[in-house]
Amino acid sequence: MAWIMFLVMLVLLLFGFPMKVPLILGAIVGFVMMFDGFDRMDFFIQQMLAGIRPTALIAVPMFILAADIMTRGQSANRLVNMVMAFIGHIKGGLAVSTAASCTLFGAVSGSTQATVVAVGSPLRPRMLQSGYKDSFTLALIINASDIAFLIPPSIGMIIYGVISGTSIAELFIAGIGPGLLILLMFSVYCIIYAYRMDVPTEEKASWGERIKSVREALWPLGFPVIIVGGIYGGIFSPTEAAAACVLYAVVLEFLIFRSLKAMDIYAIAKSTGLITAVVFILVAVGNGFSWIISFAQIPQTVLGAVGINEAGPTGVLIAIAVAFFIACMFVDPIVVILVLTPIFAPAVASTGLDPVHVGILITMMVAVGSATPPFGCDIFTAIAIFKRPYWEVIRGTPPFVFMLMGATLLVILFPQIALFLRDLFFQ
Amino acid sequence: MSEESPEHQPSSLPGILGTVDDGIARIEAVILAVGVLLMAVNTVANVVGRFLFGESLHFSEEVNRILIILITFAGIGYAARHGRHIRMSALYDVFPTKVRRVMMVIISFVTSAVMFFLCWYSVSYIHSVYETGRVLPTLGFPIYLIYLWVPVGLAVTGLQYLMTAVKNIVSRDVYLSTTVLDGYDEQETEI
Amino acid sequence: ACSDSGNESNSSSANAENEGQNWRYAHEEYEGDVQDVFAYKFKEYIEDNSPNTVQIHRFGELGESDDIMELTQAGVLQFVNQSPGFTGSLIPEAQIFFIPYLLPVGDEKIVSFFKNSNAINDMFPDLYEEQGLELLAMYPEGEVVVTADEKVTSPQEFKGKNIRVMTNPLLSETYRAFGATPTPLPWGEVYGALQTNIIQGQENPIFWIQSGGLYEVSPNLIFTGHSQFVTAMMANQEFYNGLSDDNKKLVQDATAYARQYIFDYVPGLGDKMLKKIQQDSEEVTVTRLNEAQRQAFRDRAPQVEAKFIEMTGERGKQLLDQFKADLKDSTAAEE
Ligand code: NA
Ligand code: NA
Repeated sequence: MAWIMFLVMLVLLLFGFPMKVPLILGAIVGFVMMFDGFDRMDFFIQQMLAGIRPTALIAVPMFILAADIMTRGQSANRLVNMVMAFIGHIKGGLAVSTAASCTLFGAVSGSTQATVVAVGSPLRPRMLQSGYKDSFTLALIINASDIAFLIPPSIGMIIYGVISGTSIAELFIAGIGPGLLILLMFSVYCIIYAYRMDVPTEEKASWGERIKSVREALWPLGFPVIIVGGIYGGIFSPTEAAAACVLYAVVLEFLIFRSLKAMDIYAIAKSTGLITAVVFILVAVGNGFSWIISFAQIPQTVLGAVGINEAGPTGVLIAIAVAFFIACMFVDPIVVILVLTPIFAPAVASTGLDPVHVGILITMMVAVGSATPPFGCDIFTAIAIFKRPYWEVIRGTPPFVFMLMGATLLVILFPQIALFLRDLFFQ
Repeated sequence: MSEESPEHQPSSLPGILGTVDDGIARIEAVILAVGVLLMAVNTVANVVGRFLFGESLHFSEEVNRILIILITFAGIGYAARHGRHIRMSALYDVFPTKVRRVMMVIISFVTSAVMFFLCWYSVSYIHSVYETGRVLPTLGFPIYLIYLWVPVGLAVTGLQYLMTAVKNIVSRDVYLSTTVLDGYDEQETEI
Repeated sequence: ACSDSGNESNSSSANAENEGQNWRYAHEEYEGDVQDVFAYKFKEYIEDNSPNTVQIHRFGELGESDDIMELTQAGVLQFVNQSPGFTGSLIPEAQIFFIPYLLPVGDEKIVSFFKNSNAINDMFPDLYEEQGLELLAMYPEGEVVVTADEKVTSPQEFKGKNIRVMTNPLLSETYRAFGATPTPLPWGEVYGALQTNIIQGQENPIFWIQSGGLYEVSPNLIFTGHSQFVTAMMANQEFYNGLSDDNKKLVQDATAYARQYIFDYVPGLGDKMLKKIQQDSEEVTVTRLNEAQRQAFRDRAPQVEAKFIEMTGERGKQLLDQFKADLKDSTAAEE
């Protein structure tokens, strides 16, 4: 039964159906086989609605809304300018600034795409102008934007947390270590690249300019304070922190910077609503799909056949990493998290793995897989946003994919990279 | 076809149907925008309430639950209208226009059928919830009421895909939705 | 091409009873928790004494409490275990267990109450029957213990404390009456919220406090004696009525077997878990309210009773009166 369901999904997916359809039809096949007909389809609807019921999901639209307000206003640019003022002048500084800006903006934004737009749009022209190849620039932007998926807030972590019952607050803080590790690796690579290609350096900003850039970025730097400080200072739950970010973004862009007009909020909210709906319908049908999988005891059957019960904790981690990596090469990360997390849940529980560690590993694999050719989602994001051909977008990615894989291996072998901050705050 | 901003695409349906379709599009847009804003206000108010009055708003969670359903099921119709649903188009893009047009007709018909199928079962599910008489614990009103928008949203979405299929049959180009040509900017994924 | 788990579970097609049916049973807790122990004892009896099999689904596998209840009402699942607190949206009267100081908390007293109460054994089955459910067993899971950032011995000391509660209006009313600020929060966030001081306390039976590690972040255990965590196991009624007399007896016997096991298992479980907690952490303090201290909280119970009657009307009032009469009987019987 499992194989038929997944085969139906795969065929429809490759054919180009909207992603909700392969999930729905895969599930319908499951229901029909399980219950000899359509009698019980009601419960697919029940589980769709149950999928979008957890109130922790409210954090998703709130973080999208906050990031959207900032990207359309001035906050995003001010952050980029500050990073540039400090490291723009070193060899490869522009590239390192791009990675660093993605990390910093990632502390506001929960999604990869928003980061690609907010950081990539202003910085790509500058990188091209100063002599970086476009293939390198594009690869850097799409891969560095994945850091935003690891630095809190993160939509992927919220959804993983909701479906696996793991604390979102703990996931958030555990993402910081691996996020910074990847930033470090990327920065080193950027500097080496710049020396090898002999990319000219930028003019050094004066201390006056630097101070000015910090002053201008001071307000937007309030976001990470609200999120990290708010959650770990015992003021907010993750959902409330998201709402506080919205309030802060509104105050900043509408009242202090006056970069947006009152009527803009309607358009921004509508766009946020649209993105939210597109994600949540996947969450809904994904939950229905997982339900029938679980009802049919497929995780136990399939994973048992593969021998996961004898694999031990490291074996399970590697199996998870491989499964998520491959799936993310084909399918949207959110769909992958929705479908695969429940399948691996029994194995995670029985090996006694730390669900936070697993969540971070999954988030990293999602990042790597979605940047990996042939079909990784990030590639198509970049094609859509920068209007560049497929080959140009993927040519520069291999070094980044290898670095991300290296980082993943480190996190598997040394869980403390992810967990030390969590343990510091929570134990 | 000129590139208009997504909000003011007139319906491609003729006469009174077009007017109804336009009306639904406007309602969807308002639900999306107002829903998100209400969600923000509601959640912020809950935090403020806890700080100032030492009391969480107990209905806040239930209000958000209602808003999520409204936004999701108003949004899928709106997304279908503007060709914004996430899809993996890597293989599809390889094919020439003629083949893509045929593929798009199939995709749209099947998707439409799937939406009407779910619409049918959502009515049946709502009926069963109605019969159990289940209520929201704090607000106290019947849960089936908060689901009523679900079949409407699914039906509207099904209709959108049906119209897209027809549009692709009668035109020479490939359309992602009734108003969005394949190959323009406003396609692909959002997240 | 169908994996074997797909076929066997179709009880509708397995009409020949002597071949055995596969029944599905869902509950709300994790591996090794009280509901899980009950379910596996039930399964053990059924499988040892008949060709039937029982498939158990733990928390989250098939959805949350409301979902598994709907699945049982529709007959997709045959058995479900749901705590009355979660049944509140379906059977408001079931929230009666949240009224503080209504039930005794002593191990022997609570067991004898459950065995002999008219309210439990005669009135509740009717309430569940209205919802298409055959109530098979109600049983206690243990005394509810409050954990907090400080020792709390009076309603005054609860003032300004956010106490996490399940999303249930009557339970919120209890903590409001106790002087605290009830704060509904999903289970997944409780540990972190205690750690970061968003909430200053929570309530749960002691085995949850132990298995969830809550004592690590909320080390002051307070035995207020205000409530027992109660749960109920039931079957889809149409399914149950359609069983042969032999199978009906089998289900009843298996329930009785599991229930008896739990009646022996739960007393002493609290002490065992408390020992484990104390071995694990030196920070933990245990406060048992004395009679005078309890009285200060008990004095606030009428406010919650009034709210209960407001929510449930005449039927709720009758049930409450019967509860009180049952309790008087069981106390009288002991003296
Ligand atoms: Na982020
Ligand atoms: Na990615």
